[in-house]
Amino acid sequence: MMLEKIIALSRKSSPWVAHFNSGGCNACDIEVMATLTPRFDVERFGIQLKGSPRHADILICTGPVTAQIRERLLRVYHQMPAPKYIVAVGSCALSGGVFHDCYNVLGGVDRVLPVDVYVPGCPPRPDAIIAGIVKVLQKMESDALELADYRQASAAGGGTTHVHLQ
Amino acid sequence: MLLEKRRLAFTGSTDPENGFDMTVINDLFKILVFPGFLFVVNLGLFLEWVDRKIYARLQNRIGPPWYQPWLDVLKLFSKEDVIPEGASSFMFTWLPVFYLAVTVTAFLCIPVGAYAAVYSFPGDLIVVLFLLTLATIILFLLGWYSGSPFGRVGAVRAVTQFLAYEVPLVAALLTQALLADSWSISLVMARTTVGFPRFVGVHLIALAVALISLQGKLLRVPFDAPEAETEIVAGPLTEYTGRRLAFIRLAERTEMAVGVGLVSDLFLPFPARLGVFGFVISTILVTFVLSVLRASVARFRIEDTTVLAWKYILPFSALGMVLAIIVRG
Repeated sequence: MMLEKIIALSRKSSPWVAHFNSGGCNACDIEVMATLTPRFDVERFGIQLKGSPRHADILICTGPVTAQIRERLLRVYHQMPAPKYIVAVGSCALSGGVFHDCYNVLGGVDRVLPVDVYVPGCPPRPDAIIAGIVKVLQKMESDALELADYRQASAAGGGTTHVHLQ
Repeated sequence: MLLEKRRLAFTGSTDPENGFDMTVINDLFKILVFPGFLFVVNLGLFLEWVDRKIYARLQNRIGPPWYQPWLDVLKLFSKEDVIPEGASSFMFTWLPVFYLAVTVTAFLCIPVGAYAAVYSFPGDLIVVLFLLTLATIILFLLGWYSGSPFGRVGAVRAVTQFLAYEVPLVAALLTQALLADSWSISLVMARTTVGFPRFVGVHLIALAVALISLQGKLLRVPFDAPEAETEIVAGPLTEYTGRRLAFIRLAERTEMAVGVGLVSDLFLPFPARLGVFGFVISTILVTFVLSVLRASVARFRIEDTTVLAWKYILPFSALGMVLAIIVRG
């Protein structure tokens, strides 16, 4: 149990993010980049931007999902190692925004991927993005502890131990 | 009983009662705990924190808490392991382990202050340099067998850059060895850094060359073209996840501890005078210089790195070597 607590702490304290634009207008991307500048100092939370989805724990998605980008978005998501989390940043990533009825737009990111935290705004301020990521961190920790509890309970004579590692 | 055994282990004498050779436990302690595996890995992670903290302070930020590097590695150990389809599974699994083994072995030859190295002999400087070279070759193989074009480009860049910094690095360390008339790290340490440095000018030239080429060896800004995240994702490490990435990360930190420790032993006076404490202080000092260098410059393109090394740094290091031969007489 001690080990699981340390692992939960390490997951919470060292989130590496990858950034993906699934078809937006770039305003949210500029804000995401601004979030990572020294002024906001996200390294306080251990957040680091990683180029490779293989290294990332959190995928920051901006923009509505277009029909063309869907495959690529899914591919990037599948390249990430579990446990993985998604933050949808900006109105378009939430619902499609102003692009919602375009012929080539599927809608928000949650039409394709399981989104954990929604950050509204057009574009959201860096403070809002940081607040969203910190919410994911709380979810990461509670997920890890919940999984540990479940494992302990099933080891103590519970039922089946099919745990979906997410 | 246990305490008695432990005392014997430290003194290295044999226990006459059960006839068991206590030097084995002594050697194992030296290799695995201090000054071997555990010490060097933790020193490397600590130096990573020092580096990141100084970098953050130079950008007017607060920076990460002191336990950040340990948590990063723990998290990587707890994540999913992925072997991509195009990768060689054998190489993909074992190269990270070899990488860590090679760098830790290199540290076994480095004296920690006055505390003698685990394995020291005349010529251990050459062995350390050879093992560091092997680490770069392993980095190349890591990228080459990961089955990713980014990995391959990064691997080729790593080897190209290796051709740039390796000669000046060896020349700078050779200058110190020439001044001390020995290839043994502990002898160089004892002869060149204790007492008033007679050849201070030559030392400074060699130190400058060593610091710049060490920055290249450790693939740090401005010489991070092999791992440039804005152009080739993460270079050789692009496809690595979970445990394997954790091993690579530990190996890179250990490599940093080896390089920084080598420079502080050969150039700074503190390790020989103040022991383990002096060693740690000098590694922090050298890391400080490397961090300031990292914070104040931008990335070179790979061809610029080569031009800089061969046209400017190498003549400078050759000058240091010639001066060393002249002042030695």
